[in-house]
Parts: sequence; C-alpha cells; structure tokens
Amino acid sequence: MTVNRLVNKFEYALFRHRALVIVAFLLATVFLLFKATSIKLDAAFTKNIPLQHQYMQTYLRHAQDFGGANNILISLCDESGDIFNANFFDTLRKAHDELLYTSGVDRVQVKSLFSPSTRFVEVVEDGFAGGPVIPADFIANSDGLAKVKENTEKAGIVGRMVADDYSCAMISAQLLEVDPDTGEKLDTIGFASTLEQNIRAKFQSDSISIHIIGFAKMVGDVADGAKGVLVFFAIAIAVTSVMVFFFCRSLMLTLLPIACSLIAVVWQMGLLSVMGFGIDPMSILVPFLVFAIGVSHGVQMINSTGKRVAAGMDAKTAAQASFRKLLVPGGVALLSDTVGFLTLLIIEIGVIRELAITASLGVAVIILTNLILLPVLMSFVRFSRGYKARVAAPSPGADKVWFALSAFATRKYAAIILLVTAVLFGFGYLQSQQLKIGDLHEGAPALHEDSRYNLDTKLITERYAISVDYLNVMVETLPSACTEHSIMARIDNFQWLMENVEGVQSAVSLASVSKSINAAFNEGNVKWRVLPRNTQSLVQASSRVETSTGLLNADCSVMPVILFLEDHKAETIERVVAAAKKYGAELGDEQTRFMLASGPAGVMAATNEAVSEAQQPMMWYVYGAVIILCLLSFRSLRATISVIVPLYVVSVLATALMTKLQIGLTVSTLPVIALGVGIGVDYGIYILSNMTQMLRDGAPLRQAYFEALKERGSAVLFTGITLAIGVSTWVFSALKFQVDMGILLTFMFIVNMLGAIVVLPALAAFLWRKN
Amino acid sequence: MGKKMICLVLLYTALSSGAVVGNTTQSQPEPAYIAAMAEKALLTDIINVAEQNLVAVGERGHILLSQDGVNWQQAEVPLQANLNSVYFLNKQQGWAVGHDASILATQDGGSSWQLQHYAPEQDKPLFDVYFTNSKDGVAVGAYGLFYRTEDGGVSWQREFHPELLSEDDQLYLEELQETDPELYQIELGAILPHFNRLYADGNVLYMVGEAGLAAKSSDNGRNWQRLDEFYNGSLFDITRTSAMTLLAVGLRGHAFQSTDQGASWQQLELDETATLNSVFSDQAGRLFIVGNAGSLLVSKDNAASFADLSRADGKAIVNGLVWREHLLLVTETGIKTIKLSELE
Repeated sequence: MTVNRLVNKFEYALFRHRALVIVAFLLATVFLLFKATSIKLDAAFTKNIPLQHQYMQTYLRHAQDFGGANNILISLCDESGDIFNANFFDTLRKAHDELLYTSGVDRVQVKSLFSPSTRFVEVVEDGFAGGPVIPADFIANSDGLAKVKENTEKAGIVGRMVADDYSCAMISAQLLEVDPDTGEKLDTIGFASTLEQNIRAKFQSDSISIHIIGFAKMVGDVADGAKGVLVFFAIAIAVTSVMVFFFCRSLMLTLLPIACSLIAVVWQMGLLSVMGFGIDPMSILVPFLVFAIGVSHGVQMINSTGKRVAAGMDAKTAAQASFRKLLVPGGVALLSDTVGFLTLLIIEIGVIRELAITASLGVAVIILTNLILLPVLMSFVRFSRGYKARVAAPSPGADKVWFALSAFATRKYAAIILLVTAVLFGFGYLQSQQLKIGDLHEGAPALHEDSRYNLDTKLITERYAISVDYLNVMVETLPSACTEHSIMARIDNFQWLMENVEGVQSAVSLASVSKSINAAFNEGNVKWRVLPRNTQSLVQASSRVETSTGLLNADCSVMPVILFLEDHKAETIERVVAAAKKYGAELGDEQTRFMLASGPAGVMAATNEAVSEAQQPMMWYVYGAVIILCLLSFRSLRATISVIVPLYVVSVLATALMTKLQIGLTVSTLPVIALGVGIGVDYGIYILSNMTQMLRDGAPLRQAYFEALKERGSAVLFTGITLAIGVSTWVFSALKFQVDMGILLTFMFIVNMLGAIVVLPALAAFLWRKN
Repeated sequence: MGKKMICLVLLYTALSSGAVVGNTTQSQPEPAYIAAMAEKALLTDIINVAEQNLVAVGERGHILLSQDGVNWQQAEVPLQANLNSVYFLNKQQGWAVGHDASILATQDGGSSWQLQHYAPEQDKPLFDVYFTNSKDGVAVGAYGLFYRTEDGGVSWQREFHPELLSEDDQLYLEELQETDPELYQIELGAILPHFNRLYADGNVLYMVGEAGLAAKSSDNGRNWQRLDEFYNGSLFDITRTSAMTLLAVGLRGHAFQSTDQGASWQQLELDETATLNSVFSDQAGRLFIVGNAGSLLVSKDNAASFADLSRADGKAIVNGLVWREHLLLVTETGIKTIKLSELE
C-alpha cells in the first residue's frame, strides 16, 4: 500500500505542474543534446583486455621492455610477384620512413628491410662478415638488388620481413599506448585513418598493393563500419514509426513515444559525454537498443491511455491513470534492465564495463522519458472523435484471438506447452554446453570474412611464415641467465616441446637464436647449432642479440619464447596455453618461471578465460537482480517463477543458437545474453502485473489472462515484432559482430515474447491451482 | 632431514664427476623427447643399413628409423645432445656420435641405443665415427678430439695426434711441455683443428677438417700423414668418385679434386658460394654435393660438370643418400625426398 501512496503522491505532483515538468525536460534535453554532439568514437587497446587477469599482469609487467601486443603489420606486395625492382624498394623505403614518423609508433620497433637493425652475418675463411641487409651505398640497380636478395637470405628473414616467395615485404611496428612526446593517449581510430591516408592511399599503385593488419587497423575498420549504424538507426526509426502508426492509427500518438525514446537516446549520449566517456565501436548498437526499449514501453503507455480515452476519460485523466497503472510494472521492468546491465560491470574488461554503463544509463533514462515525460505529454493530446470511436469499437476479431490464446492458461493446453518447453529446454541445454569460447573463425571476428582486413590477414598468413597470432611465454629468471647453460637449455627444451604442439606454426627465443649464432661462429656449420656449455662461448652467442629483437631485456633476466600460432581459434589457443602451462611447470622452478602470456594471442587467451569465467557469475547476477525485483514488486513467488522460467529457457535456447550458428562467446557476444534477459523480462512483467490483482481477488486464471491480453497483449505482440524487425536489419551490417548480435537479439525479442504469451500462462495454470 | 642428505650426496657426486675428465659415462643425461616434429627438425646424417633400413640422426638426440624412406619412427635414445653422425658396421651393430662427446651404440639395428661415452664437461662435439670390425673403431671431433676403442665401445681411449699439427705448432708444444706444463695441458685440448669427417677407402682412412686439414692413415688412424695443404678453409667431406678420383668439399663453395691419391689437388670451378657439407655418390655413378642455402649439385660425369639443382627454400642440406630411385636429404628442416627422375 505504501508504494501505491507514493505513486499517488508523485502522480499528483507531476500532473499539477505539467508545464514545469515539460520545461525541465526541454532544458535538460537541449543541454544534453549539446553535450551529445561532442561525443566521440573511442577505442583503446587496453579497454579490450582483462587487465586484472594473471596473464595480463605478466603482459603489463613486461610491456615496458618488450613492447605490447598492440602491433601493426604493413605488407607491400609487388603485383609482378617479385619485389626486387627499383620501384618497389623506393616505395618500401618511403613507406618505412612514413611509418617511422607517424605519431603513436614506437620508433625503435619499426622494422623492415630498411631498418638499421636488419642485419646479416656470414662466414668467410677468416671469420665473420656482416652488415645491414641493405648496404649504406645501396643503389636499386640489378647488382644492388641482387646483393640485397643475397643478404636477405643470409639474414634469415625470409618468411618474416620478406614473403616466402619474395612477392611481398613487411614493415612492422608497435604502437605506444601513450605518446611520449605529447603525453596523450593514443587515438587508435585516428591512427588507423592516418595509415589509410598516409600509407595505403599514398603508396598503393597498379604495381604495388598494400595490406595492413593489427589491432589499430581492425578497430579503425570496425569504426568505419560502425558509422553505417546510422543507416540502421534511420531504418529502425522509420520501420518502428510506421508500425506504431498502424498500431495506434494516430499521428500524434505515433510521434510521442518515438520522440520520447529519441530523447532517451540523446540523454544517454549526453550523459556519457558529461561523464567523460566516448562511445566504443563495440557498443555502438546500444543507443539503438535504448531506442527500441523506449518504444516498447512507450507503446504500452499510448495503448493504455488510448483505451482509457476511448472508454470516455479525458486525455489528462486517462494519461494520469495510465501513469499510475504503468509506473510500477514499467519501472520494475526498466529497473531490472538497468540492474541486469550493471551486472556486466563484474567483468574486468574495459569495453564490457563501458557497455554496462552505456546500456544501464540508457535504460534508466527511459524511466524518466517514457514513464514520466510521455504520460505528461499525452495529457495534452486532443483525441479526435474518430480515434475514440475506432478504439472504442468492439473488436470481436481481436477478442476472439485473445480468447483463443487464453486457452494456454487451461491445464489441458498448459500441460502440452510445458512438455514441449521442457523438451526444447533439454535439447537447448545440451547444445548450450557445446558453446565455444572465443573466436571461432580466422581473421578479425568483428569483421566479415571477405572484408579487406580479413583478406589482408589471409594474404599475410599465406605468404609469410609468421602471423599476428603469436603468444609470448615470458621466462622470468635470474639476471644474466642467458649466460647459464642450464637455464638456456631449459628454455630451448620448452620451445621444442611447444613447437610440437598442434597449432604452433613456429617458435623463436633467445635460446634458438643463440644456437644459430653459435653455428655462425663455427663457420656456419649447422652441426654447431647447440647451446655451448662453456660460459664464454654462450655469452659470445647470446650477446650478439640486441634487446630490440624483443628476445631479452637489458640484463636477460626475462626472455620470451615467442610461439607463432596457426590461427587464433579458441581451441588452438586453449591447447597451446594448456601445453605451455604443463611444460612450464615441468621445466620451471623457483628461479626460472615460464609465465603466460603476452602477444596478441596471449591477450586473446586471457580474454577467453576472463569471458568464460565471467559467463556463469554474470548469469547468476542478472537473474538474481531480476528475481529480487520481481519478488519485490509482485510480492509473490508464483508470479516470479512464471516470469523467470520462460526467461531462463530463452537464455538457454539463445546459447544453443550461438552454438548452432558457430558464434563464439566473446567480448562482443557475452553481453548479449545479459541484454536479452533485461529486455525479455519486460513482456512477462507487463502481462503478469495486469493479472496479479485479479488473481488475488480470486478471478479464474483464464479470465485474468484474457483480460491481460485484451489490455496489454496487443502491445506486447506489437513491440516484440517491431523490435525484432528493427534488429533483424543488422544482418546487413558491414560488421560481423553486429550481424551476430542482430541474429541473437532478434531471436531473443521474438522468443521472449512467445515465452511471455505462451509459457507464462501455462506455468500459471499449474501455479495458481485454486484459480 | 634424510631427504636433504640424499640431495647433498647426489649434488656432490654430480660435481665431482664433472670435475674429472674421464672416458666413461658420468652424469646421467635426460632421454630424448619423442616428438612428432623430429622428422622436420635438424638432421645431420643418414645411413642405409644393409639395404633394409634407413637410420637418420639429428638434433636433441633424435634417431629416426624407416623401412620405406617415407614413414619414420623415432627411437628411444638415452640422451638429448645433438647427434652429428651415424655408422653401421652390419645389419645390427651401429654407433652414433654427437655433442658432449657422446657415443651411442645399438646392437639391434637401431631400435634401442646405449650410451657408451658421455663427457659434457669437455664441451666438445664428436663429428664422425668409423668401425673396421665389431671391436675396433674410432670417433673424431672438434679440437682434434679423438677416441679409439678396441672392445666394441665398452671402453674408449683418448688419443692425441700431434702429427696432424703444423711443424711450428709441434715445436711450440714441445717447448711448452717443458716451460709451462699447465698451459701445455690446456693447449692439448684446443690446438688441433676440428676433425670433420672420416672416409674409409679400402684400407686407407682419410680425414678432413678445419683450416684445410686433409690427412690419411693406413693403420686405422693410429698414425696420420698430413696431405700437403691445398686450401686454408675448412673441409667438410671427402669421397672417391667412380672415376677413382678423390673429391673434397668445404667452406664457401670450395671443392677440390685429386687424381693422385691426394698428393695434389685441383679446385673445381663451381658457381657456388654456400658452404658445402657433404659429397656422396650412388651406384649409377652420379655424384651429389649438398650444402648450406639449399645447395644441391649433381654430376653425371665424375665432377667434370655439375647441374645446379639447389632447393628454392634455401635450407641447409647436411647430407644425403640415394634410396630406391629417390634422393633422400637430411636438412635443417628434416628429411627431404626428391625423385631421381625429377633431377633429370
């Protein structure tokens, strides 16, 4: 009763000062719109990383010495299939220099044929000869190019800096999170577009093609694709508006919920901007989601008001009554959405946390715009006589349908429904256990397989012996460990064991390089490719390796073993990580620890683990929040069960769908389940809140359900279909993860709606036996 | 307390055995890993055992066996040192030598191997091994490392061959023996060149090595006669062609031919700069020279001319043999098989 009193008081205050309310909203909207216009797309490498994860702690500990996992590879390919021509070398040098002076690039780590650290060593009768692969006096004539080709082979960089078939050459670089000159955070998206303009546009020609991959480029491409979301937004607004109009047959009633939902989006963006957040390309769809949820609640409001006006109330009274009737169920629904989204905060990955904040903020704002502003605005609407007549006219057709549907609340049908649901659930549960963690496909999963980025990735992995999918196992040991045979031998053994793991393409470490250098010192005789036991000889071999190679730190107390993987599929990474842990434990001890992990695949390993660890708790928290809110608002266990069970079945089925469609559980798909729960709960709450009072009064269940359907059924059906149509357009998105999200959300909207209309009454039939 | 004591004792024996330069097996090495990639890793030698089996050896104590030259099984080996050479006396008896002065022996055609000699503290590799009968054998290696057995490898005695030194070095050593016995001992272990390869030509044993070393012995290596120097770089292999000439190959594309049992040598004009690791011939009289950077030279006219059939991948080829119409190469990336018909 206290809640009711509170609602009444609030209603009284609100509707007495309607003008004031509208002015306040107007002012806030203008201010936040202004703020919203300055919001930026914002992506950072570290946001995508579970920084608290053990692997990432290792990664961060050594990022200073070894650079990060945030690298960029630029491959220049000569269309003739042979890079040894003057034009190519001229272009390669210019591109190298261009990249060197691009801000955000760690200049020490820019490597190509033209970097001074690219050297060769050869054995001659009286000892050693060596020098830069491209000599200082290099002239790009046939002699000069032949010399470079020879040096390239001697330097052993074929497959790394030059393609296996000499058709391409590589420039690689690492990016700095913070620009040391300006102290500013790296603008990843800006950097990506600089690459496009200053490298690709400038150097691509008929004879030379340019292929760029790396996290920054991927994010840049995602951001470009994300801009296409505006089109989907426009389509969604148009589709929704048309549908709302057909639903209510009134221009004014169409405009109001659409406008209020757009205001919610503006507020959300404005507030994010005020709080200092940007919008990540990964959560670019959230504003759309907010709009959709807003419309769904708005439609309930206009439906309710419209029906009351038709029944003879004036606009103000009707709006006021609707407000009173819907504030609690709507508020509870939106609050559970908000709390549900907030639970994503437990996942220690920046982008997911931002998504949690972005989404929960947006949904919370809807409480204000669509449960408060909307009814106040509606109280001013003048309803035409025609409208009233249309709504008031008995609709025997619809009532017939509703009556037929209300049979779901009879025991006979309920039993069948529950049986089918149970079978579906069982099947779905089995499927959902097969859900794969991480990226299941090659290339960048956010992008389509035939996107330029993924084609570039494919080209580079095909033509070179290396890929961006590498994982560094950091060997943390004693200072000067590279002079200790026993430690180096263990690193060497570890590397060999790892090279034998399926999915590891090749590997390199200071140990393996030292062995080659030792052979080089012994006239290039491969029979000397061993780690000398003698300390002097070992020092001689290992000290020739510079720290810029990334194979050791200044006092060689840390030496990574770099494992190049065949791909970054979740199972590959899982297998490699498991083997690295096993062999690391066997070969390591107190002094010499084989620590996972750095490198892009190391980051993926950590992310996969974090995501998979977060999955269960997230579900518990989301459901916990929804259950508590349902209990509080319905004050009924039975009601709560009726709402939650269909919701859970749908969650499981959605997971099964992910397995079926080979959508892995990733940073971008993990939140979808939580979002789905948050959105799906609305239907059940609206239907059931209308029934509980009647049930308490002892009305027969079928009667109560029939009334609920008459009152809210059309709105529920309508919103389910409208939202599904809206999100289903995402399958045409340029971004693969939006396609995935689109499919999953469409499924969730439709099936949750069906759950609320079909399974909920069937459950009720058994829970309210007396009715 | 009891455990600690045992550890201390073990540690002590390990240290003490390391300190004694001996000729028997001392500290226990770790057995080789059985690894799928072994046939794709560095291999250094291959031998045809009685036309029935192939045995290849390589890094990390890898010994690979095959009956068809296609499928390879890795043998259990009680050691992880890189192996450099393998020799079989007959179908059953064989030896393999490698780093840490390791000598392995088999009595069952390569299925199982026993460690006969292991001296990691010397930090010197053995490069070749040869047995005249099941009792008498020699193993040679870096810095003039030389072992002999007269009991099939049950015991190995170290030998020092000052006759392979230049006259200057011999005088220097004699002087040192009197003036500075300590330095003399050190020099003994380092003054000789690397002995890279043995080649048995009837009763004559040839040996080539570092800095132009070429020598022959007619008493199974007890006494050596150094051939007149014809090259100052390292030689890695020597063989006799079907035209009865001797052919030696070495550093940076150098190859030399002798028609007078090694008394005089002529350099072959090869368009090759990579180091040549091995030279061998087949029953049909074809001559193969293999080397670093994928070098593969084939001659059908006893080294009068060579066809350059070098491999495009540029991987070092260490040795090879012809087996059932195929050329089998052991390389830094494992076994490579080429049909002889493809070389035409």
